[in-house]
Amino acid sequence: MPDNSRDTVLKVLRGQKGDHIPNFSGMGSITLHGIEQLGYRFNEIHVDPRKMADAAASTYRLFGVESAVVPFDMGVVAESLGATVKYYEKADQGQIIYPTMTRKVVDRANVAAPAGLSQAEANTFVLKDLERQISEHVFQRPADLAAVGRIPVVLEALRILKREVGGQIAIGSWTLGPFTELGQVMDLEVLLKLAAKKPDVVTRHLQFMVDYLADVIGLYIAAGADFITVREMGATSSILSPRMFRALVLPNLQALFRRIGQVPTILHICGDTNPIIEMMAQSGASALSVDQVNRLSESRAKLPGVVLLGNYMAYGEPFCEGQPEAVEAMIRKSIEQGADGVWPGCDIWPVVPPENMRAMMAAMEKYGAR
Amino acid sequence: MATPERQAEILEQLKNSVIEYDEDGVTRAAGDALAEGVDAYQAVMDGLAAGMDVVGTYFAQGEYFVPEVLMCADALYAGLHLLKPHIKMDPATMVKGSVVIGTVEGDIHDIGKNLVKMMFEVAGFTVHDLGRDVPLDSFVDKYLETDADIVCMSAMMTTTMIGMPVVIEKVRAKNPRAKIMIGGAPINEDIASKWGADGTGKDAPNALQEALNMIGVLRELGDQFTAQRTQKEWGADGLLDPARS
Repeated sequence: MPDNSRDTVLKVLRGQKGDHIPNFSGMGSITLHGIEQLGYRFNEIHVDPRKMADAAASTYRLFGVESAVVPFDMGVVAESLGATVKYYEKADQGQIIYPTMTRKVVDRANVAAPAGLSQAEANTFVLKDLERQISEHVFQRPADLAAVGRIPVVLEALRILKREVGGQIAIGSWTLGPFTELGQVMDLEVLLKLAAKKPDVVTRHLQFMVDYLADVIGLYIAAGADFITVREMGATSSILSPRMFRALVLPNLQALFRRIGQVPTILHICGDTNPIIEMMAQSGASALSVDQVNRLSESRAKLPGVVLLGNYMAYGEPFCEGQPEAVEAMIRKSIEQGADGVWPGCDIWPVVPPENMRAMMAAMEKYGAR
Repeated sequence: MATPERQAEILEQLKNSVIEYDEDGVTRAAGDALAEGVDAYQAVMDGLAAGMDVVGTYFAQGEYFVPEVLMCADALYAGLHLLKPHIKMDPATMVKGSVVIGTVEGDIHDIGKNLVKMMFEVAGFTVHDLGRDVPLDSFVDKYLETDADIVCMSAMMTTTMIGMPVVIEKVRAKNPRAKIMIGGAPINEDIASKWGADGTGKDAPNALQEALNMIGVLRELGDQFTAQRTQKEWGADGLLDPARS
């Protein structure tokens, strides 16, 4: 009996050969076309489990992409820790805006400089106070993680997906990595400077984040996730030095992947990953995901035994704004460069034209057979 | 009044303190500059900005990363705040340009935007900073309210950059010749060109690099600017392209 999509995806993630190269994603892969076909509005699908599940499954049902992934925005975990997430009403009016953190747990908007200071003195006061707050902060765990914020929404969406399409395709979920998540809940600028000035402070918070994320991911797996992607894009070499990645980020990724254990895992980092790709391979993740900035052929040569997923550009031209023929060429290149699975370097832009989605899947038929 | 040698020494201290992200060193050197009669504009341009120019090179070479650049920026600001009030506001030599800048709606990543803002401030522009998560219409409203020379928008995520062409279209509808810069991790020249923006970083991860490159361009241009020429030069020429400056 031939493998179905779920079998193939999970085989590939475990380092085995499937009967074809799968096209799937561990990140947001919804299309506006799919949402419109369902009659849903963009801002509903982040807060309603049925609509979240339907939107996630629509990319499989309409085009044949071999996974369904929830959630879609980066605010779920931050919100559960006390950050404020804004839901945009304009998302109903043709302007796609994902829910966004507008007030972090440690946020400069909460710091008021004393009256009478010059602008320069006030700026200095705010930065110093944020440093103090981050240094002293102790995160509070919610009493019932499964019931806080939108985590129950994601859990229910996963249960629906497992029940309705889980026999055919792989169900994915994801969180940010410990470092990136920390930047979602604390002032990022001050945090980045503290990473250089007071690494012990940042390490203490990262260790909390490893435990917290592991618990969230444990719930996602129990609800039906077949594989988990950890997106640590804040630690890309476009931002952090490889030296800092090794000292501060890698040990915490290793601790997180040790905690997940039971299902295949993917470490995703976008931007420049060329200097750290070998360290990424030491993280303990089952597979690595990079974007189009990574020189995939070189990475393939450096890491012959590692599952590499890549790396088509899921926005702009050609995927969203080019002709179907150019999409076919892009997918062919990804396969020829040695991707074990074809998957986007980021969330798919929801505005992708349906004909380009079809062209991508037709290219998989043409070039992805083994 | 400092001797030429002493003046050069103070400028070097300002420059090196920025490079070494030594805020105290910058503060001391800026104090020396003011006490010993070094021209404040020269101290900013040939001291602080010269240091940031080197920081840009280090960033390009992979010697410095974002945390280091941010610490250098803090050091630069420490000096800028001290020196700026003492710059002689000679209308014949000061830049008269103004900029509206912000991070597009749905995006709260403002580090790159803040660095670009700093570059404009160093160069003497009036900066109208709308902050982060800025509703798209606010860019247009502020542009019209201030009659700014340039509108700058930043987006860090592929999911938020979609708002940019909307603003470009609305600003252009009001003024087809408006100058618009876009930047941020997912933006590249092809996207900027397609959307009709006038300037951006040369490739995605180097949007920040382009902001740093501005320092060098602005320093070269600094002496050439006059109140009369500013509008023309900045209106007609590519903002970030040293070859055309």
